[in-house]
Amino acid sequence: MVGSSGSGKSTVARCVTRLERPDAGEIWLGETDIARLKAAEIRPFRSAIQMIFQDPVTSMNPRMSAAEVIEEPLLIQGRGTREDRRANCAELMEKVQLSAGWLDRRITEFSGGQRQRIAIARALTLRPKVLVLDEALSGLDISTQAEVAELLQELQAAYSLTYLFISHDLPLVARMADWIAVMSAGKIVEQGPVREIISNPKHPETQKLVGAAAHFGAALAKAQGASA
Amino acid sequence: MKYLAQRLVRAILLFVGVSVLCFLFTELAPGSFFDEMRLNPQVSPETIAQLQAQYGLNQPLAVRYARWARSVARGDFGYSLAYNQPVAPLLWERAKNTLLLTCTATLFTWLIGLPLGIWTAAARGKLLDRFMAIVSSFLLSIPEIVIAIALLALAVRTRIVPVGGMMSLGYEDLSGLAKVRDISLHLLLPASILVLGSVAIIERHVRASVLEVLDAPCIQSARGLGIGKVRLLFRHVLPLAANPAISLFGFSLAGLLGGSLLVEVVTGWPGLGPLILDATLARDLYVVIGAVMLSALFMIGGNVVADLLLLACDPRIRAGEADAA
Amino acid sequence: MRRKAAMRLLVAALIVLHLAILLAGFIAPYDPAAQNREFAYAPPTRVRFFDASGFHWRPFVYAISADFNGVHQDRSQKYPLHFFLRGENYKVLGVITTNLHFFGVERQGRIFLFGTDAYGRDEFSRLLYGGQISLAAGLLATFITLFAAAIIGTVSGYYGKFVDESLMGSAELFLCLPWFYFLVGVRAFLPLHLSPASTFLLLISVIGLIGWARPARLIRGVVLSARNRNYVLAARGFGASNFYLLRRHVAPETFGVLLTQAALLVPQYVAAEAVLSFFGLGIAEPVPSWGNMLSTLQQYNVLVSYYWLLAPALALVITSVTYWVLADTIHHWLQSHSI
Repeated sequence: MVGSSGSGKSTVARCVTRLERPDAGEIWLGETDIARLKAAEIRPFRSAIQMIFQDPVTSMNPRMSAAEVIEEPLLIQGRGTREDRRANCAELMEKVQLSAGWLDRRITEFSGGQRQRIAIARALTLRPKVLVLDEALSGLDISTQAEVAELLQELQAAYSLTYLFISHDLPLVARMADWIAVMSAGKIVEQGPVREIISNPKHPETQKLVGAAAHFGAALAKAQGASA
Repeated sequence: MKYLAQRLVRAILLFVGVSVLCFLFTELAPGSFFDEMRLNPQVSPETIAQLQAQYGLNQPLAVRYARWARSVARGDFGYSLAYNQPVAPLLWERAKNTLLLTCTATLFTWLIGLPLGIWTAAARGKLLDRFMAIVSSFLLSIPEIVIAIALLALAVRTRIVPVGGMMSLGYEDLSGLAKVRDISLHLLLPASILVLGSVAIIERHVRASVLEVLDAPCIQSARGLGIGKVRLLFRHVLPLAANPAISLFGFSLAGLLGGSLLVEVVTGWPGLGPLILDATLARDLYVVIGAVMLSALFMIGGNVVADLLLLACDPRIRAGEADAA
Repeated sequence: MRRKAAMRLLVAALIVLHLAILLAGFIAPYDPAAQNREFAYAPPTRVRFFDASGFHWRPFVYAISADFNGVHQDRSQKYPLHFFLRGENYKVLGVITTNLHFFGVERQGRIFLFGTDAYGRDEFSRLLYGGQISLAAGLLATFITLFAAAIIGTVSGYYGKFVDESLMGSAELFLCLPWFYFLVGVRAFLPLHLSPASTFLLLISVIGLIGWARPARLIRGVVLSARNRNYVLAARGFGASNFYLLRRHVAPETFGVLLTQAALLVPQYVAAEAVLSFFGLGIAEPVPSWGNMLSTLQQYNVLVSYYWLLAPALALVITSVTYWVLADTIHHWLQSHSI
């Protein structure tokens, strides 16, 4: 899902993960509309959709260790013994390409990119079907972005995940997504397969986004061509 | 205007709330003014009952509150059981003295604290600043009663200033100017105690807000432009640091009022302090409530003044006003 | 690192202070109620190491005698200081009776380290015993205040809206009342003559319940900002209950504030007890407290002539300054540690 700032992308993310209650509309997860469910009813669905936040610094309690962060969902849901949880943490830590030996280090000792990996591990703890990534790569520097993006693609294959990737970065989206929805002023103004939308944008908002991305892309290509 | 109205409404609500709270507290207490009388075998139970009825003390709570509230509206503030007169004149007589003391103390606290705060901020890190930090920490941590007793002991042993009361004997015979001098000399001790107790707080706050401004980007760029230190201080730094200082002024006034009670009793200054203490020991119900209400009024008033001053000086609040309008 | 060392030092100093007062019976040479009317207003007894024959390892004091002009030293008699000697009986923690004292002199001699008061009672002993009352009052009242403030502040900050508005509204109400007026007023209308135990309980309840407003507001602020953090939101996303969130993520944030407030409130409340007792509204004679010991200074001649009776003021200063510096250090340590 792309769009400029204030178009409502984050609100959609929060509604879909039921961190906020939508005033109207429907959210279909499989066969169920989770928009209208009450707090008690939504509990079993919570493990099916998880969110990764934009800022890896504030999305985790700095007083906790990596292990505590990753096992928290299991602890809250009351699943498994302490050994199970520990084993799960180690497994996920490895899966996000971090050493399991670092499990007991405090969150503050990790870099931004590493914290985001831990956030991903935490999100995967409950084995969700859908991951909502709300500008999850925007807070990282370019090289880290590329690494984490690659990790996300590997994990998608390994765990059969569906991603709702929210971003304002069109080239990144073009690389990662199959389907694009463009948001403007709270509405989806255009959606379709990635190739189609980018090569043939119909709505003025989409055209603006594609045009801006293409402009920078061309400048980069030109600079690369000039130096070659 | 809207902001002003809001603040006033809130202040009034607070005042009413305070009155209810006070009334409840004093009424819920098991003791009463007549306890001492009851112990006296010469006073018959019928007399006591009659007195109680006369003062309306045997009515239910709500009725008593209503009667008292009406008395407040009339300007009487209830009736003193010990002095046998309406409470208001008693209060007013003493309140004048308390205000004199408090205003003088506030004035001097700021006369000393403000320049000191600016100076230590400007000389940040140097010897003066560090020395002042220790001194202010020390002053802040000492409880007021200790400062009061210490200065009292000092005054008594060195006889520099007269101790006790507001006027010397033979005050009436003095000329106008001599009268002022006499009161001022008596004012010196209680005011000094209050000033010592609060100057440290003022100095610290002023220092903090001046430092905050000094570190602001707009001042840094002004320095980069080569503006001289003195000009920088007076035309750029101080106006910016004025805001927090102004609101602090209102609060310090309110705070000093609260603190003056203790000082008045210890030094014998005839303000609200000794009045409330004596009334307390004598269980003179309405005098106590009246005095508490009056001081609460001063405090609420001090806060409102602080807010108004801030409104007048801070363009951000005014702009917010305009938006809301 | 320097901060942590400073904190350890301060805490150690406070522990020593409190321990000394807790062990008042052991350290004080005399019973606080024991009167020596003939030695009223005796000045502090000087502990000496030198006399006509030179230096002595064991310190000693001269005898004192009283006449119309007051109490004087009598150099004809020496009493050496003994340590760990048997003296009068006292109770430890109200249960164990023993008579071992840290220091003292033989029965015929007197050692009044801080002089005596109007009834000839040893000021030093009274200072220690009085400290038990005053410090206990301060600590217990602080506990009451912080307990109330923690609950009110957390509920107010966490549940917000109407609950928050009404609770904080009443906090503002309490803050409007000049505390001393309120304290005196409330205390006044409770029975003036109660048993010492009841007075004590009443005192700490009154002092403790008046000061909840300011700490409650601070805690509310902390809880409010903690509640809106992303990791709390994330935990909600995992299905966390309110209780879990409060316990795991919100409450730990309040500990810093609670600690700083505790260090600030204890000396304030010790001073509050002192003030009330000073005016006769607190602990009554013969039970000593720093406040009622100071109340004799309201007499002019006492204030002028008998400076040693200012000892409780000194004790108050030491206690207050130590606690205050601790509070300041904790505050800075927390700030430098906040991430």
